[in-house]
Formats: sequence, structure tokens, C-alpha cells
Amino acid sequence: MNATAAAASGPIIEVRNVAKSFVVKRSVFGRPLARLAAVDDVSLALKPGETLAIVGESGCGKSTLGRLMMRLIEPTAGQVLIAGRDVTRMSHGAMREQRRHVQLIFQDPYASLNPRLTIGQTIAEPLMLQNIVPASQRPKRVAELLEMVGLRPELANRYPHEFSGGQRQRVVIARALAPEPDAIICDEAVSALDVSIQAQVLNLLKDLQKRLGLAYVFISHDLGVVKHIADRVAVMYLGKIVEIGTADEIFGAPRHPYTRALLSAITVAAPPSLQRARAARLHGDLPSPLSPPEGCRLHTRCPHARPACQTVDMSLDVEPSGHANACAFWRELPPQDEASRIREPRNAKLELLFGAFEAMAAETAASAAAKDAPVAGG
Amino acid sequence: MSISTAPTETSPTRLMRAGEGAPTVLDVRDLRVTFSNDGRTVTAVDGVSFTVRKGRTLAIVGESGSGKSVTSLAIMRLLPEHSARISGSVAFEGRELLAEPKSAMRDLRGDRMAMIFQEPMTSLNPSYTVGEQINEVILRHRPFTKAQATEHGIAMLRLVRIPSPEQRYAQYPHNLSGGMRQRVMIAMALACDPELLIADEPTTALDVTIQAQVLDLMRELQGKTGAAIILITHDLGVVAEASDDVIVMYAGQVVEQCSVEDLFTFPQHPYTVGLLGSLPRLDEKRDRLVAITGTVPDMAEPPSGCRFQARCPFRIEKCAETPALAEITAGHFSRCWRAPLETLVP
Repeated sequence: MNATAAAASGPIIEVRNVAKSFVVKRSVFGRPLARLAAVDDVSLALKPGETLAIVGESGCGKSTLGRLMMRLIEPTAGQVLIAGRDVTRMSHGAMREQRRHVQLIFQDPYASLNPRLTIGQTIAEPLMLQNIVPASQRPKRVAELLEMVGLRPELANRYPHEFSGGQRQRVVIARALAPEPDAIICDEAVSALDVSIQAQVLNLLKDLQKRLGLAYVFISHDLGVVKHIADRVAVMYLGKIVEIGTADEIFGAPRHPYTRALLSAITVAAPPSLQRARAARLHGDLPSPLSPPEGCRLHTRCPHARPACQTVDMSLDVEPSGHANACAFWRELPPQDEASRIREPRNAKLELLFGAFEAMAAETAASAAAKDAPVAGG
Repeated sequence: MSISTAPTETSPTRLMRAGEGAPTVLDVRDLRVTFSNDGRTVTAVDGVSFTVRKGRTLAIVGESGSGKSVTSLAIMRLLPEHSARISGSVAFEGRELLAEPKSAMRDLRGDRMAMIFQEPMTSLNPSYTVGEQINEVILRHRPFTKAQATEHGIAMLRLVRIPSPEQRYAQYPHNLSGGMRQRVMIAMALACDPELLIADEPTTALDVTIQAQVLDLMRELQGKTGAAIILITHDLGVVAEASDDVIVMYAGQVVEQCSVEDLFTFPQHPYTVGLLGSLPRLDEKRDRLVAITGTVPDMAEPPSGCRFQARCPFRIEKCAETPALAEITAGHFSRCWRAPLETLVP
């Protein structure tokens, strides 16, 4: 809907060999003594209208990468391009202008809204800062945005404490939509919500994507949610991308031992008699990111590690399909066991019962829209 | 798993029977917890009954505000007495816990019954070493010398597979990773070999690969010690992998109660159906998730009749009357007028 000419032709966001290290310890004279390489030599591109998920465990650098992608923090090395323009060293003012294209949603809907502003004021703030909509038009635009995220426009005068977690996350989404971005970076956007509310918000994100042609960077540790929403998936471990491919490739034919271990660790809501066989678990804990292991960073925990893994580099081996992974020996790994594949056979009658919930949700949405129509128009 | 003795018998009813022989460790009857604050009265737990048997894991599932954590705190008598009113019966190995004096409860907690909380960061004291905190539990309940307690504590750390436990014993919680802290909590909870372990969201704060390790560990230790476990969680995947029986709570009430096998084969309460449907599937791509419309009712003024009716697509007039938790098939209970639900679809 609002894709600019530059964005329509190429990727909305591109990072080239970005790295970010944080100084975690300084000498008394301020000289850095220890650095933590949170993101190490990562390249990615987000195409218009797609959902790119970044998954990994805590401390893998996925949130830092998300912040680098909208240049909320400056990379230590490498380049960041937004809508085709190199923003790596852009001035603060110019960056603010450019940031319109990419918005960010955080995990905690309780911490990301100002309790002293009504939600109408909150949503109007980006409109004012970016000066997109003239002041007289702003209330109308706020009403439109509230409707878009499934909230009644008359709620604009309420304060955040009057809303539940799921409703607050809708407000946060409305605020992100206000400057008409091309992409939204969702950093664990549904992780704090109960499952039934999480489903509502995920459905909303999908609907908005269809309607507005948005691209999402979806940062999450929850592989079930990622499978549901992502077109492409990048898997990170200790600051490095270990595997990237389409969602079907990552979930259907994972190459890297880390991806396989992540998938086998997911719990599946299926009867015990249908649970899959346990694949090899990773052993031990995450090594300290301050001194990541030499060679392949996974070798201290990998069930398939061999001596050579301590010296290999972690460059991505790209297959013709674009599916890439960083295991030097992936072609020699044992094939994935059919029994360890995820299967959740469902009763057909149960699917019909689900259908009743879907019908009810559609009906509720329709009746709410009918009720709101005169308000939104006037 | 307690059913491994008979690998050929896997039907749900068989699974239920396998657990029925085991002695009852905890018997909760009609538990009711009411909080009063500024003249407002909230019934957080409204008539909950269940039993937990030796060597079995009972999962209590529900979303935030369903009363699952309050239930566990009431069993442990850990709720503030000035604001929480508890009624009903909690029989632990035949003793009525609600009638016990506080001192008897202090003797029980940490010894015969123990608890693991969600946040391993906040449930360890940052200013004492891991060893001091484990010793404290052991010395409180056992006539050990300090050296004996340390020896036992280190053996517990080894049991939960903490590498180089002797060194870890002298370290502070901040030296340990999240997964390791949770294992310390498990070691501490199991130090006096309790009959009952209550685990409140034990893996929610952990990464998936660490969660898998902790769940495996809990299963394995249960096999060794025969402890009964109450697993409180919002995660249906964890329920499927780590428990034998389930109760589903909604708005302070048990709405469904059955074996894990039955729950995931065919749930009998609409709320459970909605919960299952709202989980993203891993084996296929569906366009939309099933969302349950609306939100949980205000517990200060719970709706009369069925508490789920406003969000239920199967609502009928009868739902204005309060349904009882009724047995739908052998061992499978549901609080719904419309159960069995398979009769609602062709």
C-alpha cells in the first residue's frame, strides 16, 4: 500500500556482514578489556511483503540483530541499508526520517506504553513526530488505526491500565502502523500473551500483512509460532547464523545439528501414544558468549561433533535452492530419522469443533465492525 | 513412565488403571480460596477437587488468572492468612493440612512436600552460596552434621547432573546459568526425598533445549524416587510430554479432568478445544489459528451458569444453569452441558 519506489524494487532492509560487539569491562582508564560479540558477521535481506523469522535461544544475538536492522544501535562493522539507502553512518535527523519505513514492536505490552498518555495520544504521537497527517485529521486517523487492529475507536480516550495484555499489544501494533511502515520488526511480540490471546494477535498480524503488504522480521524463541507465521527462517547460535532457508526447508529438512536439536526439543501437544521418538539432545549449557568456542561454536554441545569441528570456520554452505547452513560436515550427518519428524494427527471431528470457534470469531468481528461503522465514519 | 510394564496395553483406559493401583499422596476436596481486599471479594479457586498418586504426575493447566497457582499455594499453605480465606479439605498422606498448626507446616515444607517456582533467578538468595542454601534445607529437616549435609547436598547436585558439583557448591547463584539454577532448585526440592513435589511453571523461563533437559531430568528422578508431582503450566506441549493426568482450569474451576492420552485425543470441554486449536501446528501450515473470542471473566463478579458461555460457540439456553463436573466416558470428566462434544458435529 505504501511501499516506496525504492523498496518495491529491492529489499526493504538489508544488512551486509554486520557485527556488533559490546564492551563489558573497561580498565580504570576506560580502555576496553573485554568485548562481547553479540552479532558476528551476519548478512540478511528482508524482501517486501515477506515474513523473515529469526530464531534462537536467549543470548544468541537475535534481539541485537533486530535492533541493528532498524539501526537503533550502530554496528561495529558492516552495513545496514533501509529502503535501498545506506543508513550505517546516517545522521540522527535523517535517520529519524528513514525510520518511518521500519517500526518495532517489543515483547512486553505493559512496559511499552506510556501510562500517562491515553491510547489515542500514544497512537497519534508518531503521526505528530513524523508530521504525516495534519493535526485536524489526526483523530480520524487514530480511529482508523484502532479499527484496523480490532479495537473500538471510542476507546481512544482510555489509559493503558484499563486494557488487558492482548489489547495493549493491539495498541502497540496500531502505533507501529501509524507512520505507514513497509516493515515491522516484532521482537518476541506474542511471547508474553496467553495462548488463546496469542492466536488472536498472530491472526491480526497475518491479516494486516495481507491488507497492507507489510514485511515482518519476526524474532522469537517459539518455533511453533515461527512455523505458523514465517516464510523464511534464520537460526542463530552465539551471534552467528547457523542456518537460513524457507520455513518448509528449515522445518521439513533441517541441515544443521543445532536446528535439528531445536526442533527435537519442541514439546508437541499430542497424545503420549503418538509422541515421536526422541532425537539426540544437545548436552550441557550455552557457553559464555564472552569467549565463544573456537571453530564451530556448537562443537561443545553437538551430538555429532568430531575433532575437526574445533578448527573449521562457520561460513554458510549455500545450496542451489538458497537453503544455507554453517555445518562443515552436514552432508555426512546421519539422515533425519523418520520417527523423529513431528506428526500431530488430529481427529476429523475435532477439526470441525475448531471450525465452530473460527465461525464464532468471524461473526464477532463482523458484528463489531457493523456496530463501529457509524462511529468511524463520523 | 509408569506404564512401561505393559507395552502392549496402550488404550487410554488401561493407562488410567495403571495409576489407580498406586497409593494416594494428596487428596484435595472442594478447595475454595477467597481473597478480600478493600471490600472486594474475589473467589480465585472455586471448589477444586483432585487426587495425586504416588509416582504419577498431575498437570494443572490454565491461562493467567485461572487459579492454578493459587491452588498450589493453598495446598502448601503459603497464602497470606490475613487476606486469603481457604475452605475445603487438603489431605496429605491422610493428614488434614488446613487444620495443621503453622509449625507443623514448616516441618512438612521442604521435607515431605517441596515446591519449585518458575523464576530460578528470584527463588535463590543471591547473597548465599548454592551450598549454604542447600545445607539450610537439609539441616532444617535432618539430624545431620554440617559435613554430612554438604556431602548429601553435593550428591544431590550430582543427581541433577551439575558438572563439577564440589566447585559449584561454593559458588553464588549469579555464577550459574538459568538452566543450572533451575537444576539447583530441583536438587534443593528433592534433598529430603519428598513424597510430593509441586512444580509451578518449572521450565517457562528456560530455553527449549534446556527445557527438554529439565523435563527429562524430572521424569528420570520421579522414576527413582517415586515422588508424586503436580506440574502447573500453561504450556500444553509440556503437559503432553511430562504428565500422566490433567486438570484444566478456567476462571477458578476445574472444567475438564482426564488422562493426558484422553485430553489430546479428544477433549470434552469447549475451552480445552479452543486452547488446542489456538496452538500453532508443527506438522502442517494452516492459514489462521483458532482464536477464542473475548477475555476471561472478571473474578470479582463471575457470570452465573457456565463461566465459559460468553466465549463458547456451542452455547445453548441451558448454559445459564451451572453445569457440574460430570463423567463423560470412563475417567474423563467435563463441566459442560453439551458434552460429549463429538455429538455436536456430524
